Amino acid sequence: MDSNNDEALDIIVTNVVATFRTRCHLNLRKIALEGTNVIYKPEVGKVLMKLRKPTITASIWSSGKIICTGATSEDEAKLGARRLARCLQKLGFKVRFSAFKVVNVLAVCSMPFAVHLVNFTNNNRPIASYEPELHPAATYRIKHLKATVQVFSTGSLTVTGPNVQNVATAVEHIYPLLYECQKPRK
Amino acid sequence: MSSRVCRTCGGSDIDVDQARGSAVCTNCGAVLEDNIIVSEVQFVEGSGGVSSAVGQFVSADGPVKAPLLGSGFHTGVGKESRAQTLQNGKRQIQQLGSQLQLNQHCLDTAFNFFKLVVSKHLTRGRRTEHVIAACLYLVCRTEGTPHMLLDLSDLLQVNVYILGRTFLLLARELCINAPAIDPCLYIPRFAHMLEFGGKNHEVSMTALRLLQRMKRDWMHTGRRPSGLCGAALLVAARMHKFRRSVKDVISVVKVCQTTLRKRLTEFEDTPTSQLTVDEFMKVDLEQECDPPSFTAGQHKVKMQQLEQELAKKLDEVEGEISCYTEEIETELEKSRPKLRGIYAAYTKEIDPEDEAVLSSTSDLEEKEGDDADLQAATQHLTQDFLSQVIQEEGQGKRTPDGVYNQEAAPEKEEVDERPQAIPLSSILGKLPSPASLGLQETFQTFHKSEPPENPDEEPAQTGELDLEGIDDQEIEKYILNDKEVEVKTELWIKQNADYLKEQKEKEERIKKEKEQGTYKEKKRRQRKREQIEAATAGEAIERMLEKKRISTKINYDVLRDLNQSSGSLSTPPSEPTEGAATRKRLSRRRRKTRDVNAELSANATMMTKKFRRLISSSPRKRKDAPQEEPAAAMETDSKAVPEAPPEDAPDAGPAPAEAPPLLDTEEEEEAEEECVSALQLVGDYGCEEEEVF
Repeated sequence: MDSNNDEALDIIVTNVVATFRTRCHLNLRKIALEGTNVIYKPEVGKVLMKLRKPTITASIWSSGKIICTGATSEDEAKLGARRLARCLQKLGFKVRFSAFKVVNVLAVCSMPFAVHLVNFTNNNRPIASYEPELHPAATYRIKHLKATVQVFSTGSLTVTGPNVQNVATAVEHIYPLLYECQKPRK
Repeated sequence: MSSRVCRTCGGSDIDVDQARGSAVCTNCGAVLEDNIIVSEVQFVEGSGGVSSAVGQFVSADGPVKAPLLGSGFHTGVGKESRAQTLQNGKRQIQQLGSQLQLNQHCLDTAFNFFKLVVSKHLTRGRRTEHVIAACLYLVCRTEGTPHMLLDLSDLLQVNVYILGRTFLLLARELCINAPAIDPCLYIPRFAHMLEFGGKNHEVSMTALRLLQRMKRDWMHTGRRPSGLCGAALLVAARMHKFRRSVKDVISVVKVCQTTLRKRLTEFEDTPTSQLTVDEFMKVDLEQECDPPSFTAGQHKVKMQQLEQELAKKLDEVEGEISCYTEEIETELEKSRPKLRGIYAAYTKEIDPEDEAVLSSTSDLEEKEGDDADLQAATQHLTQDFLSQVIQEEGQGKRTPDGVYNQEAAPEKEEVDERPQAIPLSSILGKLPSPASLGLQETFQTFHKSEPPENPDEEPAQTGELDLEGIDDQEIEKYILNDKEVEVKTELWIKQNADYLKEQKEKEERIKKEKEQGTYKEKKRRQRKREQIEAATAGEAIERMLEKKRISTKINYDVLRDLNQSSGSLSTPPSEPTEGAATRKRLSRRRRKTRDVNAELSANATMMTKKFRRLISSSPRKRKDAPQEEPAAAMETDSKAVPEAPPEDAPDAGPAPAEAPPLLDTEEEEEAEEECVSALQLVGDYGCEEEEVF
C-alpha cells in the first residue's frame, strides 16, 4: 500500500456524515418536548438530537430530512440513523427509513516525515493551493475522487471524501507526491 | 491653411500660432484668422500634481446611439448591462487601487482580470466589492507588490477569510497560479513604517538575513508571513540598537502579541540564536532545524514516555520505601519493651526472616513492576500491612508470618480473609473484570454488526425500518414520560417566549390582512411583470420591445417584419389605424435600424463579430444578404405604410420565410453565446479599445 515504507500508515476516520429521509412530515415541537437530549432551534427550523451510543448528533427538519454527524464509521452511521428512526417511530410518527446515504467522511493521517509545503505547491499547481495568510495547510483537491486533502507542514493530513474507500485511495494517491517534497531528516 | 496668401499684402509667409489660435501674416502683420478652432489635446492638473488629458475615451464598439430620443421611447437608455457592469467595476478598481497606491499598469491588469471574471459569470451571487478586492489582490500577488490581503480587508471592513475564499475561487477558475508569498517582500514596507531613519537599509538587510535563516530552520511553513516579518524586524532593530517594543511592531505588522512572542521563542530554540551579532552577520550555520510544531509534537511524545517511566520508577521506589519503613518499624519494635510469654517467641521470629523476606518482597515487587494493577494492590497491601502491624503490635496478636513466606497472589488471598483487607477484594475483583468486560463487549458488537449487514438492501427499497440491532429499551430512555413532558413543555415555553410571541403576532397580522384583502403570500421579490394589454400580437410585440431594454443583438428589422407581415396578412383595413400608431414606433425603429446599419457598414470588425454571433453556421449566411435587403426595403416601406398593402406582399413573402429561421437564430444566439470565444466576448464588451488579450 505504501510505496516506499514498510510501516503502514494509520488512516483514522474521525467523522462520517450521512443523510436519510423519513418520508413523512415531522412535528418538531413534539419531538422537542418529548425527547431527551434534544435542542430545538425554531429560528432555523430544526431539532438537534444527540444519541449516546453510538455518539451521533442528528439535525432533524420538519420535512423529514435528517442529517447524522459524529459517527466514526459508515456502519456506525447507519446504525445510529436506524436508532434515530426507531426513536422517532416510538414518538408516534409514521417513519420510513429511506435514501440513506453517506455524504462525507473525514479522516486524519500522519506521515512519518515533515513536508515542504512551498515545494509541494509548486510541483502540483493548480491542483494544490497554499495561502499561508489564510490557512496553514496546503489544500490538494483530487477531482476524480472528489476528495480534498489538507497537508500540514508537520506531515499530518486531513482527508475529506464521499466515502471511506475514496479517502483511502486519496491517501495512496498523494503519498508519493508528498514523499518527493519531504523535508530531509537528520 | 499654412500656404495661404495674405489678403492685404499678398505674402505667403503666414505664421499660425496654435496656442493663441491665430494666423498672422509676417509680412504686413495683418491678422488673418483669430480664434482658430484647434484640435489639440489639452491637459489639466489634477490633485497631487498629476496632469491628465481632458476628454473621454469613447469605445468604437460600444453603444453608439445618440442619446436624443424625443419622447422617451427607449427606457433604460444608453449602455447595456454588461458594459455598465464593467464600467462600474473599473471605477471601483480605480478607487480601491488608488487607496493602495497601485500603479496604473496594475490597475489595468486588475481590470482585465475583472473582465474575465465577468465573462465567466463568476460575479453572480458575490458582492462586487469582494470580487474587485480579489482581482486587485491577484494582481498584487502576480506582480509581487507588498500588499497583504489584510490591507484590503481593512479598507473594505470585510472579514479576511471571506475575501480569501473569493480570491482562492477566482484564482482557481481563472487558472492563475499566484506565486507563494515571500515574507521578504514585506520587510521594506514594515521597516519604513517603523521609522529607522538613516539606518533603514541596514536594518532591512539584517532582517532579511534573519528571515532567510528562519526559512532554513523551517519556521516559515504554515505561518503567516507577517508574523515572521515582525519577529525578524524586532530582532534586527534590537541588534542595531533601536528601541522598538513588541507593541510598536504589532501595530505595524498586524499580528497579536502572543504570536510574536511565540515566533521569538521558536527562534530562540534554534542554534542561530546563540550566535552574537557579529557572528551572525558573518557566519551562516549549516545545520537546519525541524519545524517547531514537529519538534513540539515529538516533545510531547517524549514527555509522555518520560512520565510513564517515571510513574513506574515511582512505584518501585515507593515499594522500596515501604520496605525501608517496615525495616524501621521492626527495628523500633526491637528497641521497644519486648512482650513476654507466648508473644515473645513470635516477635523474634520476624527478625531473621525480615531480611530474606524483604529481599523477596522487593524481588516480587520488581516482577510486578509490569502490571500497574498489581502494583496498586501491593501498595495498598503494604499500607494495610503496616497498619495491621502497628495494631497487632499493640494488641499482641499473631503477626502475619505466613504472609512473608508466600508469593504475592496467595499473599493477597490470605489477606483477603482478614476483615481489614476487604478493600483488596475490590481491587482483586477489578483485575480480571476489565478483560472479561472488554471481551464481552467485542462479542456483543460483533454479533450486532453481523445481522444488520444481511437484510440491508431490502429496507432501503421498501423504506421499512430495519429493527435489527436496535435495543428498544435503550430507545425508550430517549423518550420522556408524561410528567417529564409537562415539565419540559413549561420550561420550553418560558425559554422561547419571545419567539412564540413573534409567531403569534405574525399570525394575527396575516389574519388581518386576509380580512382586508391585502394579504400578500410570502413576499417574493419578483421583478414586476406588468400585463401587456394589446389588441393584436403585433402590438404586443411592439409594446414588449418598448418596455424591454434594447439590445444590439436583436435584429429589429425582422422583428418588425414579423409584426408587419402578421399585420398585413390579418387585417389590411386595420393597418391604417394601426399604421398611424405604429408609424411612430416604426419610424423610431427605422432610425434604430438605420443606426444599426450604419454601424454595420461603418465598422468592419463589428460586422464580422455581429454576424459571427448572429449566424454561426453556413446556412445562415444566406440570410445576411436577404437581411440587408429587407432592412433597406423596410425603410422605404415604413414611409409608405398607408399605401402599404401592395408593397407588403412581396415582403410578406421573404419575411415569414426569414422569420422562423431568425427566431431560431435568436434562440440559438443565446446558446451560441456560450461557444463564442473569450476573445470575442472581451473585445465586444470592452468599454475601451484595449485589446490587451
